[in-house]
Amino acid sequence: MKRKGFRFYFRIYRKILAQDLKSKMSYRADFIISTIGMIFTNIAGFVSFWILFRSFPEVNGWGYHEILFLYGFSLISLTPVQCFFDNNWSLRIYVYSGDFIKYCFRPINLFFYYQSEVFDVKGLGQLAFGLGTLIYSWNRIGLPLTPVMILKTVIFLITASLIMIAVMNAAAATCFWITNSFYVMDLALKFKDYARYPITIFSPFFRFIFTFLMPIAFIAYYPSLVILRPDEVPLLSWLSPLFGCAFFWLSYKFWMYGAMKYSGTGS
Amino acid sequence: MSEIIEIKNISKEFKVLNRHEGLKGSFKDLFSRDYKIVHAVDNISMSISQGEIVGYLGPNGTGKSTTIKMMTGVLEPTSGEILVNGNVPYRDRAKNAQDIGVVFGQRSQLWWALPLVESFKLLKDIYQISDDSYNSIMKLYKSLVDIEPLLHKPVRQMSLGQRTLSDILAAFLHDPKIVFLDEPTIGLDVSMKSRIRALIHALNKEKNTTVILTTHDMGDVDALCRRIVIIDKGKMLYDNDIGHLKGFFGSYRTLKIRPSGDIKEQSEKLKNELDRFSAAVSVDNEWISVLINEEKAKVMEVLGEIQKLHDVRDMKLEEISTEDVIKKIYEEGVE
Repeated sequence: MKRKGFRFYFRIYRKILAQDLKSKMSYRADFIISTIGMIFTNIAGFVSFWILFRSFPEVNGWGYHEILFLYGFSLISLTPVQCFFDNNWSLRIYVYSGDFIKYCFRPINLFFYYQSEVFDVKGLGQLAFGLGTLIYSWNRIGLPLTPVMILKTVIFLITASLIMIAVMNAAAATCFWITNSFYVMDLALKFKDYARYPITIFSPFFRFIFTFLMPIAFIAYYPSLVILRPDEVPLLSWLSPLFGCAFFWLSYKFWMYGAMKYSGTGS
Repeated sequence: MSEIIEIKNISKEFKVLNRHEGLKGSFKDLFSRDYKIVHAVDNISMSISQGEIVGYLGPNGTGKSTTIKMMTGVLEPTSGEILVNGNVPYRDRAKNAQDIGVVFGQRSQLWWALPLVESFKLLKDIYQISDDSYNSIMKLYKSLVDIEPLLHKPVRQMSLGQRTLSDILAAFLHDPKIVFLDEPTIGLDVSMKSRIRALIHALNKEKNTTVILTTHDMGDVDALCRRIVIIDKGKMLYDNDIGHLKGFFGSYRTLKIRPSGDIKEQSEKLKNELDRFSAAVSVDNEWISVLINEEKAKVMEVLGEIQKLHDVRDMKLEEISTEDVIKKIYEEGVE
């Protein structure tokens, strides 16, 4: 048996993805309606954001365009979790019905096999919105467009994505212990909305929670500091790529631990 | 013949909370540490040779699935040893997965949205099947079943029978040493059942694959298995040739009739009338069941006698079921 390295998994993922997209196109109505839905969700988000900022032009020293930058940044960093890890939302159903067991019989990584099954195209619309917002605010703030800045942005976007994936993995994996993890996941998803605001507006208590327990401050705030406020970057910002990898790894281990513990309902 | 599966004294225990009744009880359970140990599988040993088809029988909830899960590596036994093709399934789950195929009658493992042939191609990559082996097994499949119309159909559009067929083909695709079939014919019509049985039989013969077949359908067992293993309440009840058991239960058949008039009254009458056939008469709300030992009396004779004396509105003939066999083994023993 050949070793199953990164390239092996990459090739399999590419094939599943191609097949999945092909079959998605066959549900044309579903595809169009969900795309329209996604666009409206994003527009609604913008409108409420815009109304809020007409009354408060500044939040705790952060200007309109800077907040907009955070908003765009968080939208982009949510894209990977939406596109590649959407099957987490179905996990509780598979576990509850006992169908999860069918993932246990393949000679490949269980977590990979499970997540690879679904690719959510709607995430791409979100990516477009996020990119638009980011570029617009980038221009308005007058940030320089240097290779170093772009590299920083990319690295910290990846960091933020890893954190978001970690949060959703961990939330989904709770279903191996409790019957309905939907509320946990929903809660996690609601919390991510707070990620759009500078963490300094919260009390120290919540700042601690959002940094170490529900690490949503890493989704936009800490990474953005590196780009927006290069003079006052706290140590935590520089460490956030490490935190991203660590949280992702922990959530993966937690997910796998739950899956191994799971014994399936009788059949 | 070499032993492909070796099981030595395995047991599996589950810790189950002692539940209290009612709302107050449920509240108590939240904080309760009052567990009891359930022995799902209790000290089972067996060894299975390469190429055997073994029927694995037992009523629902008696530890069949638990044993299968231990052999496939999903569960770790509490005690005892399992070797599947030289691997310890729980420790080398991925390695073990390469050697086995699994089919659950009602749970397709194929990609729901994909045409069958695309699922096969993905499995080819996942199991790292060479082009040669892939082509030769596809050729074999084409000679055994009419696979062409299935290949380009998405799995979600298939009928249950077609899906089961596809799942079985997918399970044999990587030429595994052992295939576990969990109730492969459940919910299928008679002709599909016989097609599935013929396919399993042919694949076993062609590839010398060991097949572990879990079922409640004695028809499956009759058509496929030479050896059967029966477990009940986690304990091994029987592990032997099927012929041995057949001699014991095969001569029994149940004649069910529905007479006009009060069913209870009629059954009382029948009990006396059928005395000389030494048939056992029992009754439920709909049917009067007459258990006939064919070594002592012919079914047709009994039926003729009943028809002479009663107005029979409906009748059916039943083979003895797995549950009846187990009940009889319990009551009378086999050896």
